[in-house]
Amino acid sequence: MTSRELEDPLWYKDAIVYEVPVKSFFDADNDGIGDFAGLIEKLDYLQSLGVTCLWLLPCFPSPLKDDGYDISNYTEVHPSYGTVDDFKQFLAAAHERDLKVLIELVVNHTSDQHQWFQRARQAPSGSSDRDFYVWSDTDQKYHDARIIFVDTEQSNWAWDPVAKAYYWHRFFHHQPDLNYDNAAVLEEILRVMDFWLEMGVDGFRLDAVPYLIEREGTNCENLPETHVILKAIRRHIDTHWPNRMLLAEANQWPSDVRPYFGDGDECHMAFHFPVMPRLFMALHLEERDPIVDIMERTPSIPETCQWALFLRNHDELTLEMVTDDERDYMYLAYSADPMARLNVGIRRRLAPLMNNSRRRIELLTSVLFSLPGTPILYYGDEIGMGDNMHLGDRNGVRTPMQWTGDRNAGFSRADPQELFSPVIGDPVYGYQAVNVEAEEHDGASLLHWTRNMIRLRRLFRVFGRGTIDFLKPSNRAVLAYVRRYEEDDAILCVANLARNVQPVHLDLRAFAGLVPVEILGYTEFPVIGAEPYFLTLGPYGFYWFELQHRDR
Amino acid sequence: MASTGSSSSIAIADADSARPSDVVVGIQSYNDADTIGGVVRSAREGIRRHARTGCVILADGASTDRTVALAREVAGEEYSVVAVDYRRPEVDPLKLPYHGRPGRAAAMRAVLRAARERDAKACVMLDARLTNLKPESVERLVEPVLSGQMDYVSAHYVRHPYEGALTKCVIYPVFRALYGARLRQPAALEFACSAPLLDHFLEQRFWDSEQAPTGVDMWLAAAAVTGKYRVGEALLGVRSAAVRSVAPDLSTALGQLVGALLIDLKSRANFWHRVRGSAAVPVVGNADGVVTPPPPDIDAEKLRESFGLGYAALRDVWAAIMPPRTIIELKRVADAPSDRFRIQDDVWARIVYDFALSHHLKTMPHEHLLGALVPLYLGWLASFMLEPGTDDPAVAEQRIDRLGTAFETQKPYLISRWRWPERFRS
Repeated sequence: MTSRELEDPLWYKDAIVYEVPVKSFFDADNDGIGDFAGLIEKLDYLQSLGVTCLWLLPCFPSPLKDDGYDISNYTEVHPSYGTVDDFKQFLAAAHERDLKVLIELVVNHTSDQHQWFQRARQAPSGSSDRDFYVWSDTDQKYHDARIIFVDTEQSNWAWDPVAKAYYWHRFFHHQPDLNYDNAAVLEEILRVMDFWLEMGVDGFRLDAVPYLIEREGTNCENLPETHVILKAIRRHIDTHWPNRMLLAEANQWPSDVRPYFGDGDECHMAFHFPVMPRLFMALHLEERDPIVDIMERTPSIPETCQWALFLRNHDELTLEMVTDDERDYMYLAYSADPMARLNVGIRRRLAPLMNNSRRRIELLTSVLFSLPGTPILYYGDEIGMGDNMHLGDRNGVRTPMQWTGDRNAGFSRADPQELFSPVIGDPVYGYQAVNVEAEEHDGASLLHWTRNMIRLRRLFRVFGRGTIDFLKPSNRAVLAYVRRYEEDDAILCVANLARNVQPVHLDLRAFAGLVPVEILGYTEFPVIGAEPYFLTLGPYGFYWFELQHRDR
Repeated sequence: MASTGSSSSIAIADADSARPSDVVVGIQSYNDADTIGGVVRSAREGIRRHARTGCVILADGASTDRTVALAREVAGEEYSVVAVDYRRPEVDPLKLPYHGRPGRAAAMRAVLRAARERDAKACVMLDARLTNLKPESVERLVEPVLSGQMDYVSAHYVRHPYEGALTKCVIYPVFRALYGARLRQPAALEFACSAPLLDHFLEQRFWDSEQAPTGVDMWLAAAAVTGKYRVGEALLGVRSAAVRSVAPDLSTALGQLVGALLIDLKSRANFWHRVRGSAAVPVVGNADGVVTPPPPDIDAEKLRESFGLGYAALRDVWAAIMPPRTIIELKRVADAPSDRFRIQDDVWARIVYDFALSHHLKTMPHEHLLGALVPLYLGWLASFMLEPGTDDPAVAEQRIDRLGTAFETQKPYLISRWRWPERFRS
C-alpha cells in the first residue's frame, strides 16, 4: 500500500485550509513578486500555524489582467513565481510537513492569450479547433444570462475581429468561455488535471463551475449538462487518482449548490457562499436569525461531501446571495466609505470589517470553526492584516504578507517601487504595527490566538464531520448549537453576538446528567439538570463545551 | 518477497513458505547462534498444543554465524523457518538503540507482513537473545489470541522494584492516564497479536519515521489500545537475555524511550483528550513461585546528589519548561535531607506533563529537553527508593498504582495547557 492509499479518503473533512496567493506571500529572489522559493521558506510558519492544506491561487502563465484567473498555459508556472521544478520542490516540501496542496484550476474560461483561443479565432468556422470556445454571429443569444462584472462589462459577448464573430465570456471580455459541448475541450482539461495530479497535487479548486454550459432560454447557470461534465471529471479522478479532492466554486444558493455534490459523484466540496455575509450581518444586528435561517435552509449533502466555509477570501465580500434589503443593510453596516464597494460586494479584509476589534474577530472565527464544514483562512487574516481600497479592483486585499516591521514588511528586499503592490502602511494596520514577527513575540497576539484555535479544532473531528442542532433560547443575541459525531461527546457551542454582556437560559434537558467542560481551559461547569441551564456571556463572548458523561 | 535490504545476503528459504499458518512466530536476530536454538525450541513447543500449523519468520540482520541454520535445525520439519529480508540502516555507533538493533521497526514490519501473507490467526514476537524462554511463556502469549479472548497480549516480566524505573515512573503512568489502559510494560519486546490487529498495525503511519526503531514496541501497544482492540498481558516470570553490546547510557535510553512516548502522545492527542479514567487489563498466568531478582546496584544517596547537582545546573532550563510553583517545590526537595527527600506524586505527574507539553510546543530542541529530564528522573528514583518499604514488590506495586492514579488526577492539568498553551506561558 502506498502512503497515499493509507490516507483517510475523507481527509478534507478534517482539514483547515489556508488560501495563499504565491505572488503575495514571500519573495525569495527579490524581484518584488512572491514566488515558490519564497513559499517554501515560509512552510514552517504555515505548519506551525497548524493549517493542514494550502490552496494556491492561480499560478499559471497569464497576462494577469484578472490576477491569474486568465490562464494562458495550463501546464506551466508563471515565470514570476518560478518554474515547474520549483513547484515540484514546493509540493514535496509541503507534503513533508503533512500539508496538502490544492491548486486553483479555472475550467470555465481561459485568457484570450491562450493558444487554444489564438488557434480558435483563426480556425474555420465549425471546426473542432474553432469550437473550443463559444462563438456567435450575433450578440443577442443567451439573453437571460446575467452579467457578473457589472462594473466593467456591458455584455457577455465580445467581438473578435480575427474570427469575425462574437465570443461568449461570463467574466471579463478577455476571458473567453471554453465550449464544453465540444468533447475535445473536456479531454484537454482532463489532460491538464493529469499533469498536476501526476506531480502529486491533492486537489483542485474548480473556479466558476456553474457556467460551463450555455443554453438558450436559460440563465446559463447550473444547467444539467454542466453536471454531466463534472461527473465525468470526478469519474476520471476516482479512477486514476485516489484520495484527491475537487472543490467547486459555485456562488449560488445552497439548494442550487447541492447538485454540485451529485450523489457523492461530482465535487467533494463546495463553498457555502450565503452563510458568509450572514455571519457578518448577524454580528452587526446582534441577532442570530440570519445564521440560523441560512443553516436551516441548507440541504443535507452526501456523507462523503463537505461544505467549505470562509469569512474572507481574495475576492470582495460578495453580496450576490442575499436579498436586496440585506444587501442594503450590509452596505450601510460595513461600507460607509463607497470606495469599499466593488461589483456586488465589499472589498475589505476581516480586521477592517471588524473595526479591528479582537473580540469580534475572535467571535466570528469561533463560529467559522464550529459550524459544519471545513474552514478556510485567508492569508494575513491570522495576524489581522488590513487592506487598501485605493489599489483598484480587488488588489487591496491581495497586498504583500506582513512578516516584519522592516522594509517592504519583510516580504521582499527589492526596491519598494519594484513591489507588485505597495504594502499596507496606514497607522492601524501598517506593517510596522501588524506583522508576524511582532505577533510571534507577543503571547497575547491574534496570531497566537488563531494558532491555538486551529490546534484546538483539530482535536475534535466533530467539528468537521458532526451534525448540528440549533438551540433557540429566548435571548436572540445568543447563538447556540450542539455538534455531534459518532460516539464522541457532544459539543455545545454558545456565542454572544452582542457588544454587551448577555444572560441565556438553554434548554439542555436532552443532556441531563452530563457535565459541560469548557474546552479551552478544560474547566468543569455544573452538571446539567432538568431546569434551563443558565449561562452568562461577556461581550462577544463564546464558549465551547464538551458534554461529558460522568461515569467515563 | 523482493529484497529491500541494504546489505543482505539472506534469501527466502522454502518454496512453500507462503502456505497458511495458524501461528507465525516472528524473531529478529543477528549473530544469535548461542540463543536462537532455545528460543525456536520453546516457540515450537509453546504453540504445538494450540495451533495445527505454525511457522517461524526470521528477520535476520545478515548474521555471519549459524543463526539461520540453527533455527532451521531446531524447528525441524514440522515448522518451516522463513528468513525475510528488510531494510537495515547504516549503523551509527553513536546512536545505540535502547531496544535491540537498528532496523527493528523494518524487521517487525517484515514479520507482520509475512504473517498476513500466511493468514496467521496469531503472530507472536520474540527476541532471539532470550536465554530463559519457556514453552509455557509462548503459550501464555498466544493462547488468549487463538482462543479469541484478546487481540494484543503484552509480556509482563517480574522485576525488582528498583529495576525498570523509567517504565514505572513515566511510561506506565502516562500510558495509563492518557490511553486508559493499565498495561504495566507497554514497551515490552515480546507480545502476541491477532489477525485483525495485525492489519491495523500495518496500516499505522509510523513505520518509516526516524524514531521507529526505538519507539515501535510502545507505538504498537498504543495502536492496539487506541484502536480499541482487546488488550491484556501475560505474566512470564523473570526475563533473561544475552547482552552483546554496551548498554546505552541513561540519558540516551531516557531520550529514546520517553521521546518515543511523547511523539506518540502528539499523534494521538485527539484520542487521549477524550479518555477519562483507566481500566485494568486482563492478566494471563501468575507469578507464583517466581523469585524476585536481586536489587540492581543503585545507590539512592548518589541519585539524590545527582538530582541536587541537576537542580543547581539546570534550574534556569527547568524554569523554561515548568511553572514557578514546580520550581519552588523542586527547590524544597533539593534542600531536604534524605529522610524527607520526597517528590510527591502530583508534583511528579505535573513535571512529566510539563515536559510532554514542552515537547509538543517545541520550546527547545527535543534532545536538550529530554536531557533536562534526566536529573529529575534520578530524583524521582531516589525519592522512591528512600521511601520505606518500596523494596518489597507488593508495596512497590501499590505505590506505582497510586502514582498512576495521580497521573489520572492531574490529567486535566495537561489537557488544559495542551489545548491553550498561551495561558501556561503568560
